[in-house]
Amino acid sequence: MAKPKASAVMKQGKLTPWLYLLPALIVMTFFIVYPMINTIALSFQNKDGTASAATTCKEGEPCWGIFENYRYALTEELDTTSFTSFWNTFWQSSYGNTIQWILIMVSGTVILGLLIALLVDRVSYEPLAKSLIFMPMAISFVGAGVIWKFMYNFNAGRTQIGLLNAIISGLGGDPVAFISNTDINTFMLIVVGIWMWTGFCMTILSSALKSVPEELLEAARIDGANEFQIFFRIMLPIIMPTVVVVITTMVINVLKLFDIVYVMTGGNFETEVIATRMYTEMYKNYQTGRGTAIAVILIIAIFPFIIMNIRRFMAQEAQR
Amino acid sequence: MRKKIYILVSLMMLAALLMTACGPKTEEPIEEVEETGIDCMGAEEGDEITMLYQWSGAEEENLNQILQPFVEACGVTISAESTRDQALLDTRVQAGTPPDIAFWNVTQLQQYKDQLFTMPELGVVEENYPDFWTTLGSVDGEWLGLPVKADPKSLVWYSPANFDEAGYAVPETWDALESLVEQMVADGQVPWSLGFESADATGWTGTDFIQDILLVTQGPDFVRGIIDGSVPYNDPAVAEAWEIYGKWATSEEYTVGGADGTVSTGFNDAILLVFSDPAEAMMVKQSGFAGGTIRETYPDLEYGTGYAFFGVPGVQGLQGGSDWMMAFSDKPAVKALIAYLSGEVGGQKWAEVGFDLTPNEAGRGMYLNDELQDKGEILYGAEDYVPDIGDSIPGGFGSAEFTGVTDYVNGSRELTDILDTLAGIQAEALGE
Repeated sequence: MAKPKASAVMKQGKLTPWLYLLPALIVMTFFIVYPMINTIALSFQNKDGTASAATTCKEGEPCWGIFENYRYALTEELDTTSFTSFWNTFWQSSYGNTIQWILIMVSGTVILGLLIALLVDRVSYEPLAKSLIFMPMAISFVGAGVIWKFMYNFNAGRTQIGLLNAIISGLGGDPVAFISNTDINTFMLIVVGIWMWTGFCMTILSSALKSVPEELLEAARIDGANEFQIFFRIMLPIIMPTVVVVITTMVINVLKLFDIVYVMTGGNFETEVIATRMYTEMYKNYQTGRGTAIAVILIIAIFPFIIMNIRRFMAQEAQR
Repeated sequence: MRKKIYILVSLMMLAALLMTACGPKTEEPIEEVEETGIDCMGAEEGDEITMLYQWSGAEEENLNQILQPFVEACGVTISAESTRDQALLDTRVQAGTPPDIAFWNVTQLQQYKDQLFTMPELGVVEENYPDFWTTLGSVDGEWLGLPVKADPKSLVWYSPANFDEAGYAVPETWDALESLVEQMVADGQVPWSLGFESADATGWTGTDFIQDILLVTQGPDFVRGIIDGSVPYNDPAVAEAWEIYGKWATSEEYTVGGADGTVSTGFNDAILLVFSDPAEAMMVKQSGFAGGTIRETYPDLEYGTGYAFFGVPGVQGLQGGSDWMMAFSDKPAVKALIAYLSGEVGGQKWAEVGFDLTPNEAGRGMYLNDELQDKGEILYGAEDYVPDIGDSIPGGFGSAEFTGVTDYVNGSRELTDILDTLAGIQAEALGE
């Protein structure tokens, strides 16, 4: 008599988890899986999804057949006549700019965040200092873009209303067109990103630093280690898993970055990043095929980082 | 007991209702119709006209004021909806339930050509409209839309006070304008304020200016050729217009701040630089809305002395936006409305209310303020009227044009490269 009862329990056990998952699965299918499959399908079609992308090829021009939208997405911004022209156009393209964003913004936010977390740990007004640094996170990207557009404002007339240019011209210098000068503008936009996201990195890294056992540090000090050694040899290795998570999260954030560029330059002046280019193709040029091809490239670029993050989380779960 | 009271009360109410129903009817407004000069075309009291338009707030109020004499005279009810979303109109038309009347852009005439009634069969008053308006509103030879509102863009705004002080006269020809510009540079003045920053539409002021130059050097047929694709955008004449513009837009002598100033000065700020004290530039080319911008910031400036405008000299046709009325129904009330708006009374009323300008020539001279009156003179004196190139070519041509002019002024791409790209987009948009 006991046997069938046990198997009934087993049967129930197989089905129940799926029932619990069902609402989430339905939502995921509708809002993530279906749009993603549709995006991939559209990326192989023409601008309004009515024919294959191969039909948009023009005679006498390079053509990748069904991958034509990907050819456009990957090579259109580049001048491949010589290596130098390729190199120069690459760093002006949305891909080159996105790489600059990743390199400068991720290292900037993580290093600054770590530094601030370390320093404020040693002062009595830590909560105040941390909330000041964290405050920009509470502002929307669009709001931050508008604020910094004023900071960088370059006035063609005599008076400078932009804070930075007012200071520069107040000191007798020539005002700088921060936003339209193609040599510096991407960097100036990245500064806005760093300003916004340093608080996020700082908060997470600070809590990680606080979890480093005090006894370890005490022991190291007694053994004669100086503060630099303590940081690099003890603290950093201990918080390394957190640092990696922060880095991957920031890389994903930066790859998706859209608002700052859109608000401050609209993608003009060689500041285009992958996400703004996707938007431009999709909603300003009405090129659904090209827009979705860029979206797919963006998904592929983000994928490894998401996997890294998930692995990290799984490892942490396993430790518990 | 209670029941009885209820019966009594309801009987009394019934009696009261019957009495009012039998009371004298309100007077028929027939006599009034004759006085107002509005022909109701057999529309009956209580007829309904459904409408869809993009105007809201003060604009919607203007329209209501304009329609009021018609509504009062014919007793029709207007049930209007306001939306900026063209998709709503599309859906209704496709579903077979369009509004009786839609006020939208000229491109919708092409789009809905199969559903629209022609203006002549609706009894439009043709003599109030010069040929170029009927041509612009015609698809395949059928006149499908009534131009109700026009906003010419080919205007140059300046300060008469500053012009007087420096001894400059308003130029009558393009050559005179060019030599005036050189004269200003020689005098140490900055002639233009060409700033065109406008968030993700940065550059539109520049493409407007270039189109005006094309209207001077080539004329309206050439511009229409670009719009229908018979003239490729990389035509040498287009390049020449870009270069004329580029010479001014990239040099500190000709415009405030040179190329940097052009790309990073907001278009509204660019207007104000001409009227600041001291003025940073002498002239700004901008559409009709500039007057409002100036008045808002400098309420002390009077039109005519503090600020004024002249039409871009030498244009062989005006560039500008326009709103069109199209009819999906031919019921009497709709006919009456079209007769009203295209006729004397409606044209004059439109001008009196001053809802921009009416292309209806009955409005000429009827504007109540000098600024609209002068703008009207430019409109009624025009030889032709062409819409904005970027707005008229479907797809992403408009935004590509903005990006193109921004790249050109900023010096990040070669002109030939930019124009070739634009010609490619133009061909792609019009080829299919």
